[in-house]
Amino acid sequence: MGPGVRRAALAVAVAGLGTLAVGLALSPARALSSLLTSGFYFLCLGLGGAMFLALMYVANAGWFTVFKRIPEAFASYVPWGAVPLLALVPFAPKLYLWARPGIMETDHLLHKKAAFLNVPFFGVRMVLMLALWTGFTWMLRRNSLRQDTERTEAQTKRNVAVSAVFLVLFGLTFCLAAFDWLMSLEPHWFSTIYALYNVAGLLSSSVCAITVAAILLHRAGALPQLNSSHLHDLGKLMFGFATLWAYLWFSQFLLIWYANIPEETVYFIARMHGGWAVPFYLNLVLNWALPFLLLLPRPAKRSPAHLLRVAAVLLAGRWLDLHLMVAPANQPEGAGLGVYEVAAFLGVGALFTLAVTRAVRSAPMVPAGDPYLVESLHHHT
Amino acid sequence: MSARVLVGYFDSEEKVLDATRAVREAGYALHDVYTPYAVHGLDEAMGLKSSRLTWVCFGGGLLGGSLALALELYTSVVSWPLNVGGKPFNSFPAFVPVAFELTVLFAALITVGSFLARVKLFPGNRRVALPRVTDDRFAIALEAREAPSEASIAEELLRRHGAVETARMEVAS
Repeated sequence: MGPGVRRAALAVAVAGLGTLAVGLALSPARALSSLLTSGFYFLCLGLGGAMFLALMYVANAGWFTVFKRIPEAFASYVPWGAVPLLALVPFAPKLYLWARPGIMETDHLLHKKAAFLNVPFFGVRMVLMLALWTGFTWMLRRNSLRQDTERTEAQTKRNVAVSAVFLVLFGLTFCLAAFDWLMSLEPHWFSTIYALYNVAGLLSSSVCAITVAAILLHRAGALPQLNSSHLHDLGKLMFGFATLWAYLWFSQFLLIWYANIPEETVYFIARMHGGWAVPFYLNLVLNWALPFLLLLPRPAKRSPAHLLRVAAVLLAGRWLDLHLMVAPANQPEGAGLGVYEVAAFLGVGALFTLAVTRAVRSAPMVPAGDPYLVESLHHHT
Repeated sequence: MSARVLVGYFDSEEKVLDATRAVREAGYALHDVYTPYAVHGLDEAMGLKSSRLTWVCFGGGLLGGSLALALELYTSVVSWPLNVGGKPFNSFPAFVPVAFELTVLFAALITVGSFLARVKLFPGNRRVALPRVTDDRFAIALEAREAPSEASIAEELLRRHGAVETARMEVAS
């Protein structure tokens, strides 16, 4: 990407986040909801890149090496992605019911949770989690770049160890993050599968974004080594994670539906009726039904143009899914795709684009020192 | 039914891939290629069309899902309605897990069954495998339509591409 595109991305980031700053004065809850949705959306793409790398390292996978700089570049967005989320902390009372002044005195259930749900502890947890993720993504990237010059397998072994520790810590901290940042928007409600359901969304969307980036780089001539077998495997992962998402979505829904306990059903009642009903059902179509049917035939998973279309559907679906988790808490009356939602998505998205293109350009596209590179170049399914 | 074939035996997958391409380029009709394990790229080398088994699988899944939903609808709405927790008799969410399971079950069993039937792998079929192709040999079987004098050209071609042994035989088609 040339300097023109970078300047444009910078302008979009400034314009988008500037609009949100204005929105903070006019319609604070909605502007903050939008920032949370998009901030979390792109942070998940970055974390998804790190998780993808870690999964491949611990599985001793060799097929992905040719495009591993893409998930690495995604992972290097994590410290940038921390900024929009940290910006929420001072405004927590406008976004989170439990942070509103005086609520603890009048709401007994929240009073019981006060030791955990309070702004200082919330901020401390957020800083610690973001710092932990930044540290691990930095280590994975540093070891991989060192290998370019060392050309031994020592750094691969080191990254396998880093990945194993990261996966365990990430599993625990990401659950906490999903509970903290998203589920606590409706602090009376709870669902134990909520975090896992979010992990499925994270995996599905980040595999889509990796596929899109790989195809675009291939088309631009920067990644000529990418072949249809790599795409086929990425397509299988898209298909599999979309189905995992549907499985977990339904697991959450079914248990709440048949138990029919008011403090649990309140979440779905708010979303299945009124203004949220259409996005609620659309969510299932975009995140599962459509991608499932579109990715079923084998040639579909090997066609770059087709994969781009399906990835666009899933990436839009992931945003809608997060929007449905976040927005109804402060906008119970109905859906909204207005100026703040668009501004937040474009603003944070431009930040993501800047960080990722910067990382892609700062290192050789193909990791020449990786012992798995030859296997990856000859990947055949 | 049986077919007269010329069989060339090879001792590595690289050689059998190379020879498969060569005999097809030379215009010979392949009867089949036998290998001890799945060899990557052999389907392309043999020029096989994509399998129709995927459609059997899709149909099997549709059949299983529809049958499951029909069974659930009949038993819980028509035949013997029961009030469970005050929910409507026709409660789609409750039907999904069984429909899902039967979709997977039917798709899997029908696919495997169709495959076994298509390749005639069932009890009572006494076809004998070529020697060592379940162990450490790769075999190419060409349809032997030519006169014996021309067939020796095919034999020569197989040997030139690494065949360690050739044989003429009748195999079940």
